[in-house]
Amino acid sequence: MNHPEQQDPVTEGRDELAGSRRTFFKRVTGAAVAFIGMGLAIPLVGYLVSPAFKRRDQTWVEVGDVADLPVGEPKQLDYLQAVQDGWLTTKLHKAVWAVQQADGQVTVFSPLCTHLGCGYRWDDPDKRFTCPCHGSVYDLAGKVLGGPAPRRLDVLPSKVEHGKLFVIYKEFKAGLPNSVEL
Amino acid sequence: MASKVYEWLDSRLKLKTVERTLLDEPIPGGASWIYVFGSATLFLFLLQAITGMFLALYYAPTPDHAYDSVTFIENEIAFGPFVRGLHHWGASGMVVAIGLHMLQVFLYGAYKPPRELLWMVGVVLFLITLGFAFTGYLLPWDQNAYWATQIGINMVGTVPVIGDLAVRVLRGGETLGALTLSRFFAVHVLFLPATIAVLILLHLFILRCVGPAGPWRGGAERRKSGESEEPSYGLVERRLRISEPFYPRQVSMDAVVMLAIFACLSLLALTVSFPLTDKADPSDTTFVPIPEWYFLFYYQLLKYVHGPLEPLATWILPALFFLGLLFWPFLDRNPARHPAARPAALAAGTGFLLLVFVLLGISLRDLHAVPRTDPAVARGKALYVQFGCAGCHRIHGEGGAVGPDLSYVGDTRPDRDWHLRHFRDPQAVSPGSFMPKFPLTDRQIGDVTGYMLSLKRPT
Repeated sequence: MNHPEQQDPVTEGRDELAGSRRTFFKRVTGAAVAFIGMGLAIPLVGYLVSPAFKRRDQTWVEVGDVADLPVGEPKQLDYLQAVQDGWLTTKLHKAVWAVQQADGQVTVFSPLCTHLGCGYRWDDPDKRFTCPCHGSVYDLAGKVLGGPAPRRLDVLPSKVEHGKLFVIYKEFKAGLPNSVEL
Repeated sequence: MASKVYEWLDSRLKLKTVERTLLDEPIPGGASWIYVFGSATLFLFLLQAITGMFLALYYAPTPDHAYDSVTFIENEIAFGPFVRGLHHWGASGMVVAIGLHMLQVFLYGAYKPPRELLWMVGVVLFLITLGFAFTGYLLPWDQNAYWATQIGINMVGTVPVIGDLAVRVLRGGETLGALTLSRFFAVHVLFLPATIAVLILLHLFILRCVGPAGPWRGGAERRKSGESEEPSYGLVERRLRISEPFYPRQVSMDAVVMLAIFACLSLLALTVSFPLTDKADPSDTTFVPIPEWYFLFYYQLLKYVHGPLEPLATWILPALFFLGLLFWPFLDRNPARHPAARPAALAAGTGFLLLVFVLLGISLRDLHAVPRTDPAVARGKALYVQFGCAGCHRIHGEGGAVGPDLSYVGDTRPDRDWHLRHFRDPQAVSPGSFMPKFPLTDRQIGDVTGYMLSLKRPT
């Protein structure tokens, strides 16, 4: 040791490391901490948020035979859809309204009222859809006839292959003047 | 700005005093690379804690979903394999770091008075780490996890009197199932972390009370040999005489080692995959589980001890070993710290390490020969069927007799490389052979080779 005994023994070493050497060790520590911090933070944040950026897979699901749909009258079609919820696969019961128009075109409506998302019904004597919650009324084409509904019924993508009707189930935000998918 | 906030906080919380207490800890004999293992272990523990918390975001501790949730982390989550890899390799790293830390303390005689308690708390920390390893191994709920845990629990059952009860308590009932998984999970993520956190603080508190041991020969002794007129100092005084504060040099060494560890673990996590085996199937008793490498030496030891001597290996030896380890500072009464002055202790330590590494070596060698239910073998078997190999080859009486009988090809031709080359180009290694060159990918060649090597005489 260069320094005599009267030095405070604990700070003796610190004096030796004065100036650039001391700064060097500080920088080494800082760099190591920064590398480890970034090396952990980036993957962990990605890991944390990654499900938020995942869109649900939307697949065509067969819901029934077109031949079973009466022309000009809606029919509620029930079916089971496999839904992937994280690592869990569940079968969900879904029901959509399908209408076969006179020209053979099929329109499929989301079963939820555009006002607040209640399930509406077909009022056969009056030939119109009515929502039991707040009294929204739609015609066979989905157009609003009355009540608080802000927009027409939401139409689901549908197609017909070999006489079978396929749809993609979607949900839309309630209460908006335009259809916005959830 | 930051310094102003610090000043404000300091005027209320006396942060500078805390900072000085933490950073100015005297390192007797000065900073050294040999002192990094304790910090390395602490770093690995923190890394395990962090990655563990993140794994828990997606993990589900039920037999129905555990396997699927781990597969989900592996396949669907960004950086999922990386985070799981860090946790997996970090566990191994922690065992290595503790091993080196204990080795250094042992070699330096740093467990001797007044540091007996420091050592004893350290041994308990080591046991808790093994508890983490044991409980964590079950959580993925694959075949290996299930059957390895089954064996581990059954070993507890060989302890007389309390064995049966202990097994039931561990399993949470008669069988290894839903209750076992949930209690292993709870112990792994709640009970053990709480316990280890308290004991780590105790370990550090005792360290600050008794101080680090420093080099073999204290500063005063060293000086005395150089300048004989120097007086002899008391223990604490001697520690303070030639010492250096913990910050900044020792801290920078610790930080560099932590970075190196992090780099190694990241590299392992990114490059070496450790796929799950099949989902745990309690009815499939043919599965041969393989323990983690740090339990392999013990796994090997169990193979040599049978019959009435079995309890010796399953609990008597481990119990004696850990009791001996715990009370080692009181068993080793030799006051000298220099290794040269402690031949008995050094011989005991070396003997133990030799035994461990020889058993580990034998076990690793045997593992390559032991047929185990490997998913690759099953895939290889499927390829064998798919490509109609049985048209020419016969296995246990089934198939054609045009090509060689493959019933025991794993015994007659155990060379993996030969099979790999042979599948790529049969004529290259076996001139004149009329086996066709099948359009196989490298992975398929590996699988079908795995199947070939698994065809052995029952031992």
